[in-house]
Amino acid sequence: MIEELEIILETTSKILQKHVNHSLRQNIVSENTDILNLWNEIEKNGLPKISVKEKFGGYEIPFFSILPLIKIVNNHGTPLPLSETILSNYILSESDINAPNGIVTFATNTKNLQIKNNMISGEILSVPYLNLTKNLLIVHEFNNVKKAILIDEINGEIIHKKNFLAEPRYDIKVENLNIAEMKPIKNNIDFNFLGAILRSAQMIGAMEKVVDLSINYCSERKQFGRTLSKFQAIQHQISEMAVELSASSAALLTITELGLGEKNSNDTAILKIRAGFAAGKIIAISHQVHGAIGFTKEYELSYFTRNLNSWRNDFGNESFWEEFLGKRFLEKNNKNLWEYLT
Amino acid sequence: MSKFNFPFIKETNELSNLRKEVREFITTCINNNEITQSPDAWVFSADPSFSKKLGSKGWLGMSFPKEYGGHQRTALERYVVTEELLSSGAPVAAHWIADRQSGSQILRYGNEKQKSSIIPRITAGECFFAIGMSEPDSGSDLASVKTKATKTKNGWKLEGRKIWSTGAHLAHYMIVLARTSPASEKNRHEGLSQFLVDLSLPNVKITGIPDMTGQRHFNETLFDNVELSDDSLLGEEGKGWKQVVGELALERSGPERFLSHFTLLDSFINEFRNSLIHSGTKIVGKLISEIQTLRRMSFSVASMLQNGESPETQAAFVKELGNKFEKMMIETLREFSNIVPLHEWPNQLQNLFEDATLRIPSNSLRGGTTEIMKGIIARQLGLR
Repeated sequence: MIEELEIILETTSKILQKHVNHSLRQNIVSENTDILNLWNEIEKNGLPKISVKEKFGGYEIPFFSILPLIKIVNNHGTPLPLSETILSNYILSESDINAPNGIVTFATNTKNLQIKNNMISGEILSVPYLNLTKNLLIVHEFNNVKKAILIDEINGEIIHKKNFLAEPRYDIKVENLNIAEMKPIKNNIDFNFLGAILRSAQMIGAMEKVVDLSINYCSERKQFGRTLSKFQAIQHQISEMAVELSASSAALLTITELGLGEKNSNDTAILKIRAGFAAGKIIAISHQVHGAIGFTKEYELSYFTRNLNSWRNDFGNESFWEEFLGKRFLEKNNKNLWEYLT
Repeated sequence: MSKFNFPFIKETNELSNLRKEVREFITTCINNNEITQSPDAWVFSADPSFSKKLGSKGWLGMSFPKEYGGHQRTALERYVVTEELLSSGAPVAAHWIADRQSGSQILRYGNEKQKSSIIPRITAGECFFAIGMSEPDSGSDLASVKTKATKTKNGWKLEGRKIWSTGAHLAHYMIVLARTSPASEKNRHEGLSQFLVDLSLPNVKITGIPDMTGQRHFNETLFDNVELSDDSLLGEEGKGWKQVVGELALERSGPERFLSHFTLLDSFINEFRNSLIHSGTKIVGKLISEIQTLRRMSFSVASMLQNGESPETQAAFVKELGNKFEKMMIETLREFSNIVPLHEWPNQLQNLFEDATLRIPSNSLRGGTTEIMKGIIARQLGLR
């Protein structure tokens, strides 16, 4: 399986290298044939269903093992919701629902959801890339049962959010919308945890790119007669980025290796805190060392930093997970801290 | 920027059992009033009799080969033992440097006589070391050291001054970095050598320098034409720089870079658990996330050392993050005094807190400053 994954990672890198460029990122609409071509290429290689069970036509590689793929996809700044689709399809498959072909996006939040006669009403919030698909996964708890709900045709009031951040996001208000499939979710699938892990892996992929962009830019740009990289003040700032990134990557590797058991959910919290904090530092420093060019739309840094800003707020920000972690230790435990940590 | 990986290493059951065994031993020592606990214990809290006990338990020189009295255990086992000692604030300063870096340095570069005469004593907790790197005019700029060793008929003559030599007043030996030939114009790192110096030799003068808290651990060590035997040279003449860089990797990546003040945090949480549940979950969560990430990274470096790699850069990452964490931790506790005013903290906790506040500036100086760490990282990123 490891060999299989290696091949997939290599193939994916090649596809993305060929298709993704910065102008593609500025025209994320379903009419853009380049966007469609890229998606077709991705689908042809089975990436959207990489963690889907074989009986549903997937590769059945565990979700935690494919986090390196999520990193690569976002390191290339791929302007398609492949990461969202992979997670949605994994949750559908684990809930015994046959995932549809094409892009599947998810709702990060909901409000006043109600279900009657296999129809859903309420507000579905902050859905990424809804302009590219009709397939939507909603995870919601009704009467103490968590359910995976698949919608494959959306009508209702769709509001394109202004969204200062990168990818398109939408809020939808629906009334008696048909549900394509709805099944209870397994206990071990927690959407908020998986979402936090997904966003962290995406952030780390993007942060690696941002650090590389900063190193390259500072090695070429000259001021006061020498390249910026020769200034100690610049060197130290970039080192700080690298340090923060390495800590986040270490936290991600823990999840890749251990997965998400009840015991390891602390690791999810640690990952999202670490990645979110690092993103804050890295956004600020990368823009600082780039100067004005980094603040333009045509230079690619902003695509990555905008996404970082968006993802660090999804599925709980640092404070949310810090409280989770602190509460868990203080309330449910009489052990002293060291015993708890070890 | 994906070249600095910290592979995930799992703590096996064997390691967890060892952890438990060490913890029980320390608890017994504390309960019997055999040892005192203190913050920054690895720097100044020396207790030779405790070091000897650890030696007889087999917890010193753990990874050293059996033929030299070592235990041939893994760097990961050593890591677990050091974590337990540090988190409890046990008095480990006497043997710390010998066990952490000097012993490994001798095993790696030393000749047979050096190894067989010294390593068994380190392992037994009977032989202590001090670091001989900094000088009055050479701090961060280590390659500028002026201490000089000149070849004589029977060996070497050592002349110069080392400073900030923590624990030299209790130590038996110092590994001294000295110039054996002038630096070449192209490369200042040439012409340096390391020497294994017996501190009881004539013309070695050790003078204490109280630190700003009043504690004695710093020293100035004067070598006033000290006669060294021929086999005092450690490793190869002229290769001192390469050797010292490897020694620093051992020095920088360990858990003392983030657990120096753990006893303070532990007492703080035990004291204020109820207030923290209401108004401090977030700060506790933040601290937990930092410590766990650092432990995870430091453990990973231990496994790199175990595999014979040279994780100098990864060690700099751990040290830099660890230093930042400790400063942040003390600042976080200080801000909590908004909830429970400092003067209402129990006396012992107030003392711990004030002591840590005073000591904390040294954490990003010792073992290489923040600026040096960032410089090392920048070089690896191709910026220098």
